[in-house]
Amino acid sequence: MREQSKYLEGVDKKDLFASGHRACGGCGQALAARLVADAAGENTIACVATGCLEVFSAPYPDPSWRIPFLHSLFENAAAVASGVDAAYKALKKGPVNIIAQGGDGSTADIGFQSISGMFERGHNVLYVCYDNEAYMNTGVQRSSFTPYGARTSTTPTGNTTRKKNMPMLAADHGIPYVATATVDDFRDLQLKIRKALTIEGPKYIHILAPCPLGWGHPGDLTVEICRLAKDTGLFPIYEIIDGKVTNVRKIPVKVPVAEYLKPQGRFKHLFKRGVPSEEVDAIQEIANQNIERFNL
Amino acid sequence: MDKLPLGLALDLRKVVPYETGSWRTLMPVNIMQTPPCNHGCPAGNDIRGFLRTLAEKKDYEEAWHVLTRTNPLPATCGRVCPHPCEDGCNRRDFDSPVAINSAERAVGDYGLEENLEHKKLIAARKEKVAVVGSGPAGLSCAFHLAKRGFQVKIFEAYGEPGGMMRYGIPSYRLPNYILRQELENIMKLGIELECNIKVGVNIPMDQLVQHYDAVFMGIGAQRGLSIDVPGQDARNVFTGVEFLREVNSGKYVDLGKDVVVIGGGNTAMDSARVAKRLGANVSVVYRRTRVEMPAITAEIDEAMEERIMFRYHTNPVKIIQDDDRVVGIMCVQMELKEPDASGRARPVPIAGSESVIPADTVILATGQAVEYDGIEVHKIDNKWISANENLMTSIDGVFAGGDAVLGLETVSAAIGQGTRAASAVEDYIDGSVESRLASPPVIYSKDLNTYYYQKTRRFEKEALPIHMRLKHFKELYPALDPEAIIDEAERCFSCGLCYNCGNCFMYCPDNAVKISEKTGLYEFDLDFCKGCGLCAKECPCHYIQMTLEK
Repeated sequence: MREQSKYLEGVDKKDLFASGHRACGGCGQALAARLVADAAGENTIACVATGCLEVFSAPYPDPSWRIPFLHSLFENAAAVASGVDAAYKALKKGPVNIIAQGGDGSTADIGFQSISGMFERGHNVLYVCYDNEAYMNTGVQRSSFTPYGARTSTTPTGNTTRKKNMPMLAADHGIPYVATATVDDFRDLQLKIRKALTIEGPKYIHILAPCPLGWGHPGDLTVEICRLAKDTGLFPIYEIIDGKVTNVRKIPVKVPVAEYLKPQGRFKHLFKRGVPSEEVDAIQEIANQNIERFNL
Repeated sequence: MDKLPLGLALDLRKVVPYETGSWRTLMPVNIMQTPPCNHGCPAGNDIRGFLRTLAEKKDYEEAWHVLTRTNPLPATCGRVCPHPCEDGCNRRDFDSPVAINSAERAVGDYGLEENLEHKKLIAARKEKVAVVGSGPAGLSCAFHLAKRGFQVKIFEAYGEPGGMMRYGIPSYRLPNYILRQELENIMKLGIELECNIKVGVNIPMDQLVQHYDAVFMGIGAQRGLSIDVPGQDARNVFTGVEFLREVNSGKYVDLGKDVVVIGGGNTAMDSARVAKRLGANVSVVYRRTRVEMPAITAEIDEAMEERIMFRYHTNPVKIIQDDDRVVGIMCVQMELKEPDASGRARPVPIAGSESVIPADTVILATGQAVEYDGIEVHKIDNKWISANENLMTSIDGVFAGGDAVLGLETVSAAIGQGTRAASAVEDYIDGSVESRLASPPVIYSKDLNTYYYQKTRRFEKEALPIHMRLKHFKELYPALDPEAIIDEAERCFSCGLCYNCGNCFMYCPDNAVKISEKTGLYEFDLDFCKGCGLCAKECPCHYIQMTLEK
């Protein structure tokens, strides 16, 4: 058998999230879920909120999860995880990695109260948010993570509000570890998962997971889009440890946001015959603010 | 476990996963494409192959065997080849091309140091083949035939084998001992060599045709052509080939103080630089400009570094003699007009612009041709032998290749022709028709995903400083550091062939890329692949491509 590739040192691939799930081709969330599960390892319990991930990965009798998997409701993944943590403590069992996972809707809108409660109570749970910037499972409705200018089925002329800054909200709960990651840099993503699991207390990791269907780009661009999101400054990569922003990923070569927007169908209306509209300038302004704020 | 846990109606471990492969419209395939370096190599070397062996296994020995599958003279080519491979290298568009030529030399030198031996492919056969000329074409043909078991005998007209590599290339570019070692290594395959036999003079052609199953003529272009200048019969007027042969045979040549070399090809550069090393003031006279010079660019640069004077737009009209010795050369200035048949600007003399350059020796490096003494084959013109696409001449069973067919070309081109001729000879003897597979398409920069490569500095070999060069004929480029060459080989993009980066393996959202139990390579699990194309998009070297479902 061939040796492990030297390019994959420090990367885990255990297939704890197996083939046969019903995600679309090129799904960023399926990719992210596998990377998270593989990094966390076998000694892990996944508590997943309702959403694409739960629907495509856990149909009876053929779930893709090779680790214990718990699904309850849309809004209470964090509350269920809190319960698992409390149960383990009461039974004096463990240690075990408890990872609550949800999409952007269940994180920022519907499940926000249970996450906030989990953070506040200080449970030893890692919450992973797969951010695909709308309610993709039910047909691409706007969520509070939908970025400015994006078209969804409930904002047909483009979203008029800005994306909620969830990592900062999480950090302001005073939790020990917050990080952002994307699926294109699997090494960085798995490193952050492993790092988070060594820290006692509530943790939050925000992963950008492109949705080819909802974002309107071909499935093969999933990784490329992530890369552009980082290099335009629209999705800054950083860690917040004990309230301090550190390990900010510097952008090697800054890319104008139009490069990121153009391949995506949800931003198509911003380019009339290829000419960028005012909204593109507004989005560029958001990117510039990020660049200034995080010193990207 | 027969009894299921409480509450479970179905043993989940026995459920067959849902095969999502049926969703697919496009499927990923591994396609090994031709890298531009292999495509550009006239000798047909597997350049990507030996560079990847160096980079992945750090194994010089295996790299040498990969290289000598096609090229019997890696240490020689690593010194004298103008490396068209590097011109094509896709790294050129990224930072700078891989120093393939230096890597080849390092691998070749390793083979010589460790006395690595060529491997015979099959057992001996009884058919005999005669090879005329032991230059790169003849050697390469003999090498490939001997590996395939034929009884090969080489006839060499001069005292030592090597052809133009021995008598044409000066030893500061290619030291004699390197060439001799490589030749001895080739001869170990059981090739017979007879020197000082000039076919057509010492033994007739017919005899070879009768006694051997096939004959390969790699006779090169040993006759220096001189241009029609009055006074060229004077003493101390040489042709370039003649001059280099004298010096390389170790004979003393009385050059005098001023040497004028006429011509702009590689022979002219070599002659000029040899004359400079013999202590003369050298000027090169060329009727066009530097741009049109057919010599290897690096050779022109090095000649200029060595303070050789270049006179462009200048053409000799008369060699001036005192008694029978040269004292000067009268030249006329030229101007360039519309291009001629060769595509280069046509020089036209300017009336009344004659001047005299003092000269003690004149070297006419103005072209070469085949020496036909006693060899009767069909010719294209007076200069070159005509051969068909299988390199067979007008005589049945007589093949030809190298400079004699190509016109003046490089060592690697001659090696390539020798290789082709060997295949043609084998087919001729076996009576079979060679089925040549078309090589896969060439891969260009636009096909690569260069995000995954890092910009690094190219390895540059260092020449001796100029003041140390001109006193002797020691090699211009001292030995290379093997570690630095491995670093250089790691710069290879591996265009069109998997280098085990693992992107497909990591990025597949469906885990449909597996490591094969049998081969250890990545393979697609088409039961689950949904055909999204992410692997193909993120494959750095374009080894994965999407095709229509079969």
